[in-house]
Amino acid sequence: MDIIAKPLARRLIAVWTACLIAFLYIPIVCVFLVSFHKGRYFSFPFDDFTFDWYGKAFSSLQTQELFLISLKVAGVVTAISVVLALFGGLAFARFNWRGRTIFQHLLLLPIFFPQAVLGLALLIWLTYLGVLPSWQTAVFAHLVWIAPIATLVVSIQVYGYDAAQEEAAYDLGATRLQVLREITLPALSPGLVSGGLFAFLLSWGNFPLSFFTTGADSTVPEWLYTRMVAGYTPMVPTMGALIVVGAAAVLVAGYIFIVWRRRPIGG
Amino acid sequence: MGAPEAHRSGAGGAIPPVLRLVGLTKTFGSFAAVDQVDLDIRQGEFFTIVGPSGSGKTTLLRMLAGLERPSAGDILLRGERVNDVAANRRPTAMVFQSLALFQHKTVGQNIEFALKMRRVDPAARRERAYQLMDMLRLSRDYYGRSVARISGGERQRVALARALASDPEILFFDEPLSAIDYRLRKQLEVELKDLHRETRKTFVYITHSLEEAMVMSDRIGIMRQGRLIQIGTPDEIYTRPLNKFVSEFMGEVNIIEVEARADGWLAAKGLERPLKGPVMPNGLVHGHLVVRPESVRFIDNGAGGGADNVVAGTLYNEYALGSRVQYHVKAGGRMFVVEKLRELRPEATLGAAVTIGWDARDSILVPD
Repeated sequence: MDIIAKPLARRLIAVWTACLIAFLYIPIVCVFLVSFHKGRYFSFPFDDFTFDWYGKAFSSLQTQELFLISLKVAGVVTAISVVLALFGGLAFARFNWRGRTIFQHLLLLPIFFPQAVLGLALLIWLTYLGVLPSWQTAVFAHLVWIAPIATLVVSIQVYGYDAAQEEAAYDLGATRLQVLREITLPALSPGLVSGGLFAFLLSWGNFPLSFFTTGADSTVPEWLYTRMVAGYTPMVPTMGALIVVGAAAVLVAGYIFIVWRRRPIGG
Repeated sequence: MGAPEAHRSGAGGAIPPVLRLVGLTKTFGSFAAVDQVDLDIRQGEFFTIVGPSGSGKTTLLRMLAGLERPSAGDILLRGERVNDVAANRRPTAMVFQSLALFQHKTVGQNIEFALKMRRVDPAARRERAYQLMDMLRLSRDYYGRSVARISGGERQRVALARALASDPEILFFDEPLSAIDYRLRKQLEVELKDLHRETRKTFVYITHSLEEAMVMSDRIGIMRQGRLIQIGTPDEIYTRPLNKFVSEFMGEVNIIEVEARADGWLAAKGLERPLKGPVMPNGLVHGHLVVRPESVRFIDNGAGGGADNVVAGTLYNEYALGSRVQYHVKAGGRMFVVEKLRELRPEATLGAAVTIGWDARDSILVPD
């Protein structure tokens, strides 16, 4: 069979690929375009270009507070998720204990729950316990959904890692702590960073869980929604563009770390 | 060779063993992976434990290294009980089946690991690493290279250098050559034996290949179902296998089930004529006659001498093994394996009638 594409076929494939990428990225690009737009409604081509809304976003105490809360939630969720994912991944990949598979399925199940229902359920539960919803309860809500995903990501790396390396280090005179510091953590660091990236980005952009569980506190995605519903200003796409930039920055930093860790050492 | 005195240990022995196992046992639940093993390993010897998978040899080695705690019995290192001494405090080092090289470290960092753990300063570590690399014929250029970027043979040498770095008294090997292709394995077997000669250290090696053990070892222990069933030099194991199990381990040999007859001959199933072989030990009626492929020869009808035992059959197939040719001959409802030098190959086509034979002195009689 002739698997080398004919010129026409090759051109069609290129067009199709371009359409697909445009479909995926044009909406996000539009948000950026709108955020530089002076007027209240989007028109193209631009009638007026401005950085005003960015200036307002940076100087407003309210937006600073929004970003701070989003950052706090995502940061704490990331830290806890990575620790849970490390131990969870090790437990799954390394030990063959009774009920392991069932436990694994049960732990991963929350990923498939509709998040709105999960958020509602947690809110009902918190009210019943008499806990006042705040950004801390949102951290808990995010963890229910995100920690399993982070565990899955870390497990993939743990499965591909020869645990005999730890025994070898121990046999060569390392203490348990030295084994962790010299072997386990460095060897698993790309997986832990990937898991951390997933945790941060999923928490950073999450709307449904935050919506139900932050109480009086508000994250940026929540604010976007409430302002869309009532009181829209051009600040909305600006804030939207800013959280995309935040996510991209974290993603790039994580990517650079992983590439650096996998670099070939020496000649 | 194989003087009985050398086998004796304890008060009467000349040199105390470097490693002594007394009733060493490891149970998992009700299953005894290692069952009451007594063994003395001498200073500087290359001792190989051979057994099929599941025979308990890996568990035994892991107990010696301190990676597994014995359920019963003792491990004595130079006379001192080390049952409760953890692996990181024993003066021993292990070469793992997967080699377990630290994938995120360089060749140099791998080799120096034990020294780093002992807080040796970096300059001295590097010097020792270079010294080992020279000894193992590993180019110094590899020092800063990732272990993910070197060949299989080089990885073996890095694993050896890493184990040797802290100058351990005993080196343990957990089938390090099992996943390597034939040519490289043969070469590394020779290199390991040479390394043993140069370092004069005690090597304890496990493998499932008796052939590999024969090449390298001073003594071999055959393990089966958690027990050491025969210990001896390669020569002793080869010429006097204890039973059928040990004989089968030697690769392709002819094993014929026989029963002793009152007249001293042996009756073999499927063969019309009784066989002449060694005398069945007292009281035994049932046994197995072991005949090596190279001891069997083709008998020309008429010309050439006969043999003590002669069997008629048909030539089923032939296989070239370099300087030798192996033949499979169908006779008496079984397949006989015959091996000859290339120039001695018979002039018979496949399916032709052939007569094979061997002499009684070339056969061994073993119990079940």
